[in-house]
Amino acid sequence: MPSKSPYNSGLLWRSGIRYHFRRPWLYVLSVVGIALGVAVVVSIDLANSSAEKAFRMSAESVTGAATHQIYGAGSRLDEEVYRTLRTETGFRKSAPVVEGHASTTDPIRSFQVLGIDPLAEEPFRSFSSQQAGIELSTFMSGQITGFLSETTAEALQVAPGDTLDLTAGGNHYPMQIAGLIQPEDEYSRQALENLIIVDISTAQKLFGMDKYLSRIDLILPEDGTGLPEHITRALSESSPTQAGSATDPARLLEASLPDGVSVVRSGSRTETVAQMTRAFELNLQALSMLALLVGMFLIYNTITFTVVQRRPLIGRLRALGATRGEIQRMILGEALFIGIPGTILGMTGGILLAQFLLQYVTQTINDLYFVVSVQQVTIAPLTLIKGFFLGIGATLLASLWPAREASRAPVRIVLQRSEKDARLRRNTPVLSLIGLLFILMGIGFLFLPGETIISGYVSLLHIIIGFSLLTPLLITMMASLLRPVAGLLFGLPGKMAVRGVVTDLGRTSVATSALVIAVAAAIGVGLMVDSFRVTVDSWLESQLQADIYIQSPGFSTRGLDSGLDPELIALLRNAPGVSGSHSVQRTEIQTNQGLDRLTVVETDREAVQSYNFRERSPGLWDRFDNEPVILATESYAFNNDVSVGDTITINTDRGEHNFAIAGIYYDYSSDTGLLTMSRTVYDRFFDSKVISGLALYTDADTDIETLIPDLRERSAGIQNVIIQSNQGLREASMEIFDRTFTVTIVMRFLAVLVAFIGVLSALMALQFERSREMAVLRANGLTPGQLWGLVTGQTGVIGFMAGLLSIPLGIVMAAILVYVINLRSFGWTLQFQITPEMLIQAMLVAVTAAILAGLYPSWKITQTNPADALRDE
Amino acid sequence: MTEPHPANKPILHADNLVKTYREGEKERMVLNHLSMSVYRGDLVVLLGRSGSGKSTLLNLLSGIDHPDKGSVTIDGHNITSLGEKQRTLFRRAHIGFVFQAYNLIPTLTVLENIMLPMELNGFDEHRKSESAQKYLEEVGLPDRASSYPDQLSGGEQQRVAIARALAHKPRLILCDEPTGNLDHKTGLLVSGIFHDLVKKTGSTVIIATHDPNMHRFADHIYQFHEGTVQPADAPEKQPDA
Repeated sequence: MPSKSPYNSGLLWRSGIRYHFRRPWLYVLSVVGIALGVAVVVSIDLANSSAEKAFRMSAESVTGAATHQIYGAGSRLDEEVYRTLRTETGFRKSAPVVEGHASTTDPIRSFQVLGIDPLAEEPFRSFSSQQAGIELSTFMSGQITGFLSETTAEALQVAPGDTLDLTAGGNHYPMQIAGLIQPEDEYSRQALENLIIVDISTAQKLFGMDKYLSRIDLILPEDGTGLPEHITRALSESSPTQAGSATDPARLLEASLPDGVSVVRSGSRTETVAQMTRAFELNLQALSMLALLVGMFLIYNTITFTVVQRRPLIGRLRALGATRGEIQRMILGEALFIGIPGTILGMTGGILLAQFLLQYVTQTINDLYFVVSVQQVTIAPLTLIKGFFLGIGATLLASLWPAREASRAPVRIVLQRSEKDARLRRNTPVLSLIGLLFILMGIGFLFLPGETIISGYVSLLHIIIGFSLLTPLLITMMASLLRPVAGLLFGLPGKMAVRGVVTDLGRTSVATSALVIAVAAAIGVGLMVDSFRVTVDSWLESQLQADIYIQSPGFSTRGLDSGLDPELIALLRNAPGVSGSHSVQRTEIQTNQGLDRLTVVETDREAVQSYNFRERSPGLWDRFDNEPVILATESYAFNNDVSVGDTITINTDRGEHNFAIAGIYYDYSSDTGLLTMSRTVYDRFFDSKVISGLALYTDADTDIETLIPDLRERSAGIQNVIIQSNQGLREASMEIFDRTFTVTIVMRFLAVLVAFIGVLSALMALQFERSREMAVLRANGLTPGQLWGLVTGQTGVIGFMAGLLSIPLGIVMAAILVYVINLRSFGWTLQFQITPEMLIQAMLVAVTAAILAGLYPSWKITQTNPADALRDE
Repeated sequence: MTEPHPANKPILHADNLVKTYREGEKERMVLNHLSMSVYRGDLVVLLGRSGSGKSTLLNLLSGIDHPDKGSVTIDGHNITSLGEKQRTLFRRAHIGFVFQAYNLIPTLTVLENIMLPMELNGFDEHRKSESAQKYLEEVGLPDRASSYPDQLSGGEQQRVAIARALAHKPRLILCDEPTGNLDHKTGLLVSGIFHDLVKKTGSTVIIATHDPNMHRFADHIYQFHEGTVQPADAPEKQPDA
């Protein structure tokens, strides 16, 4: 008796592969299905990583060799600090920086503008020092001149001496190109792609930062080399040096600087900013995984179908002596035959799709987080490797069960047809119980301690799997209800169409599940976006109480680039027709929680009404203008785990001060959250008088539509600002909202597309397999038209059932997205909305997909001669 | 039921086999304490009406199925005591099959179909190819090596199935209605080829059939009756080819 059974049967493998070659349409659909799933995951990953890489590269290139950076208490630093540092403290390895963003109009492209002192640059950045070829006479001519990288100049088709029309802080500036920087390598080429280097005084002019700096870069060796004498002395007296301790050079230097000025490690701010997009990226990744999950159903469906169809063949192979292991490996090998080309195609498609998605991802990051300009997709090998293993892994995972099923069934049973369907019908109660168990586990995950976003998605996955396992039972129940109705409406063919769904339950339930999940995902994401939209709309309505809003054009909602001209503010406040106003300043501050956003507001009767509090302390508004108190948004409280009564330590121009949180209010403008402080309190602790936005109230008899052009005319020549009516600002805000969700909508569409392909292949396979049964019906007198009606009817019934089943699952998914995932990602409370249009749309998608899927097989079957189909093999 | 054989030890011995199937709420005993022995080189024909248990017995003798009671011993190996995988490995090494519905693998060519059992048994490429070619010639289809099963007639397909069953030289060949799907003339041709081949190779054969053409070649004939077998009158045996 042979003792070994090596799997080296090329014939088994050849037999399996030829099976797929004989059904090329099914094979192609399966490959496309997995390719789409992989493409979506890879593209999202590439778009995210490209944006992040571009941000980090540009941050690293402008940080250069700096080990530390000095920041002011607000978003700007008095330039006097630099002068003191160089002349009085004697710290030479320091360089002043003024940063901001500007754009060119033709072509429209945003740039990071780096204002530097070329004399101080050499130890820091090779590209912006005199060594790099910056000539002081042209660079510091008093005119607006700047340097670009050579490749950027080529892209913009400009040369030294040419003039670029630059817009910064709402004003236009003609900038003469003083010279070009030649990148040393590919990394510098990419890093410098979106950078304009100007003299520090030019940058101060562009961003309205006269006498202020963004930061000072430092090289602060830990051994104390090159440090001012008093610091070196302090260091030698106490060792060893410990970062963060009083003997850390950075802390010693900080102690010698004015109150509110801090010394931080370079890169720490970059890290803080880069992490803002974490939740946004995670959610996109999770959505992309949903498409892969639907793709997995497709693979499962295909492999199950091939196994079911080949049960007699597998029986023969088993009878001839093929072991279970050999059959299992044969099926898994075939799955790889689908999975490998699907994955490779998916990775290629993913790179292409990433080019398309990149603009939306970048736009959202710019709208919500920080300014980043990404010109091209960076193909990260890690992403491709991840995509490859995800695709192959998903294929193998989806094929494990059918492969096991094929190999486990005893040979005697395998030789019988439709045994699987009969067994599935028998096992339906058990499957349903397991399904319920999965759903309960899914609910259980929601209550796990820690409340992480991951457990939210794990819960969602369990509920999806549980619902899929319940699908056969639900289909059977629905079929028994629908059968008499279909009989009444369409006679015997109607009854047959409904009954056929149950007879072929093994295949129809998988196809239906795939469609249910995809349509439910569409409903879930759709309802979540709708709920979000309604919430933001009503929030904007209560938030925007004034009639007219004025702000300087920014590059991000963080809008930190420039303030409004004081002359313009006075002019607008006193314009005829204006009855009242309040100002807003958006800035960044250093708190004990890190780098936070602060909104400084002038409060008046109307402004007070615009806040909708989740929690507030008594007498809030009385304290707000007089005491060191602040308000926090709901997402700030969530992200930093603070509540009313807690204290936030803020680094002010008067040193560190504690501010009590007096209220937590609903706000949807930032997912990282923000703090709000009264202008009167702010002025007591900070020196900056900048105002970045103005809200105007008009007299009762003033026509806003007439007043706005009048105000625009008055502001012309002083500063280019955006003046919008209440309605205009709301519309613009909703436009940003819709733009933010574009990627989500694209993801939703792709998930439905994958499901559509799944249903198409499953139903086509099913109908082709039934061609003999159809031939019997033809032989018994059913006309081609009646047969067409029967096939299309059955796929239509599947679509109808899938549509109905997707509604409860979709609503549950939406509820988890709204109440759990959004809350845990961003800390936002949303008003849950179920819009009937979304549900009707979902039903239509399901039925249309299913009917379309039935069209080709029904046409094909009606074209076939019944005699051919009836003939034995 | 055993019949002593003067010169030989039995190659196959079925002892007290019981097999029951569940049909709805009822249980039906298909094999009822059946015993039989088959000797090396014998051609045994099993007769019985549909559902009498012929195919069930073949399934038990080949190790495809497991009896509720009793044992099957082939060449000293009690296959009922083996695990599923060991039974499969035993089957592919020592048993050849010919089915009523041919059961060729539609996605393999004629030559590949014949090579399959040899490949599963780990024969080297040269031996597989040589043996497959030889048997293809023996069944009279040397020019159909690269055809697919659906390009052959029923009789041709069954001849390929016979070649497949014999090519790896199994100890025992089991046939379930091998001529059941063929017309009278083709049945005659196929059964003639089959008989000549088994005699040439000295194979031991058990055939479940209704075909009187097969009766003529039988060394022993057993009749199924109420779940067991009894010797039937053997027709006058044809002289060996």
